[in-house]
Amino acid sequence: MFNKPVDLTGAAAFIAFMAVLPLIFPGNYLIGVLTVSVIYGIWAVSWDFMSGLTGRENFGHSLFIGVGAYTAGFLNTVLGINGWWSLPAAMVMAVLFALLMGLPTLRLKGPYFALAMLSGAVIMQRLMLIFWEQTGGEEGINGLTPLIQSQLGFYYFALGVLVATTALLMWLARSNWGLILRAIRGDEATCQAAGINVTYYKIASLMISAAFAGAGGAMYAHYQLQVSPQLFAVVTSITIITMVYVGGMATIYGPVGGAIMLVLLTELLRNFGEWRLMIYSCTLILILFFLPNGLIAPTWRRLRATLGAKE
Amino acid sequence: MSAPLMEVGNLNKHFGGLHAVKNVSFSIARGEIVGILGPNGAGKTTLYNLLTGFIPPDAGARITFQGRDILGLAPHRIAGLGISRTFQLCRPFVGLSVLENVLVGALGAGGAQDRHGLDARARELLQRVGLAGKEKVPVEVLSYGDQRRLEIARALAARPALLLLDEPFAGLGSGEIDDLSRLIRQVHADEGLTVMLIEHKLREFMRLVGRVIALDFGEVIAEGTPEDIVRHPAVIEAYIGRDNALDAEPSHAA
Repeated sequence: MFNKPVDLTGAAAFIAFMAVLPLIFPGNYLIGVLTVSVIYGIWAVSWDFMSGLTGRENFGHSLFIGVGAYTAGFLNTVLGINGWWSLPAAMVMAVLFALLMGLPTLRLKGPYFALAMLSGAVIMQRLMLIFWEQTGGEEGINGLTPLIQSQLGFYYFALGVLVATTALLMWLARSNWGLILRAIRGDEATCQAAGINVTYYKIASLMISAAFAGAGGAMYAHYQLQVSPQLFAVVTSITIITMVYVGGMATIYGPVGGAIMLVLLTELLRNFGEWRLMIYSCTLILILFFLPNGLIAPTWRRLRATLGAKE
Repeated sequence: MSAPLMEVGNLNKHFGGLHAVKNVSFSIARGEIVGILGPNGAGKTTLYNLLTGFIPPDAGARITFQGRDILGLAPHRIAGLGISRTFQLCRPFVGLSVLENVLVGALGAGGAQDRHGLDARARELLQRVGLAGKEKVPVEVLSYGDQRRLEIARALAARPALLLLDEPFAGLGSGEIDDLSRLIRQVHADEGLTVMLIEHKLREFMRLVGRVIALDFGEVIAEGTPEDIVRHPAVIEAYIGRDNALDAEPSHAA
């Protein structure tokens, strides 16, 4: 199943492509789009690690993104702490929120976890408005310092984080740990009968997922140089889930491709004005209808089979 | 006589107005094959769910396993102590391969988590239950009989001291039943495994088990050797009131 040389070559080719792209087509516009797509990639792989593997769909991933971003905003502007501390701090805060949300909700069966996570994100968005004196309300927090002055430098940093996150989560997904998460998706009762503490694994995987979503949130905050309650928006979570479906659920690497593809597609469709959303939605519906396993991961699998055969 | 492997006392379970398990008490000796017999709705599966922690019993119950009180423990803790179970309707890990299904069974037991050692043991178990060569097959495409074998391999992978089988022969043809009976007898002999077995297929069941606990309406109505049980008036009455319990089989085998 796992053909190491071919997979590593594929990964190297992808990284090289992403690294060279802004050099071939220079300009801050493309770098900006690529940076956003790479950050979405981090969010999508982190979503896939928990929800794709265990099958418990998290409709409030934006909660962890927002928590990470606001953590960065507070530390950087209110407390004036160096921006590099934002990333670990955002990860810790997101993990705490994952624990807070996961402990009561992951014991529930059926759609309750998805609904609880969705509500959690909505509540946080409201709280940011209610406590406007501390959070800046609708305006959010402005004046964050950039992590890296050069736009290209920050893009390469984000790309590095995406590659590291994907590699780590893929390694975990292919370990015994990942096997247990996939077994939870298969049948929870059988897992319990096999001596597996299902709740522990679900909460731990949500915490890991949240950590990377939070880190991505902090990076996004330091890229936009501001945070706003929009970060908690439900539409962000839905976009991420769509990216995972397009990329190929439970494959970890697929969602990276899904995220980059959809962000680029959104940008390419800007010229179509008001037709944009319609074309975007129809493309998604067609992909999901005809390719229930997604587009990116199955395509790579087919490609790998041909490449592997030639070797 | 060594201490019993499992002791159950005063076990009760109400579901609303239904008294599903009534004052059940019994003990299981190490190395036995015990059958749980009873018509549909007698409370057999509920009894399993109580023993394995999937459902909490009513207050006042006592369940000890290897001298340890296991009442109130979570299902995965009870499994970790050495009680493995299968389900009446096969519940494999959908989306995983046959080999991965068995690997997960071994992972829950803790201990050495080295993938190579686990892999070797899982393959050996698959060989044993007759699924060699199907390691990579997705579990969804297995036949029902193969799913039953897989359930047993998965349960054995945890190296249990007590194996609870819930209607392992359900939905199988007679050839498959013979194979599976042989397998159960073999693991019992090889590993000194204690086995509890729920079954409707009386003929195979009676040949396999050393002792029978008969349930009806949640109560233990008789306990003894298979020969005694088929002649026991309460058991005969529970099985449609015929004068020979074995005649009742076709209606249950359907």
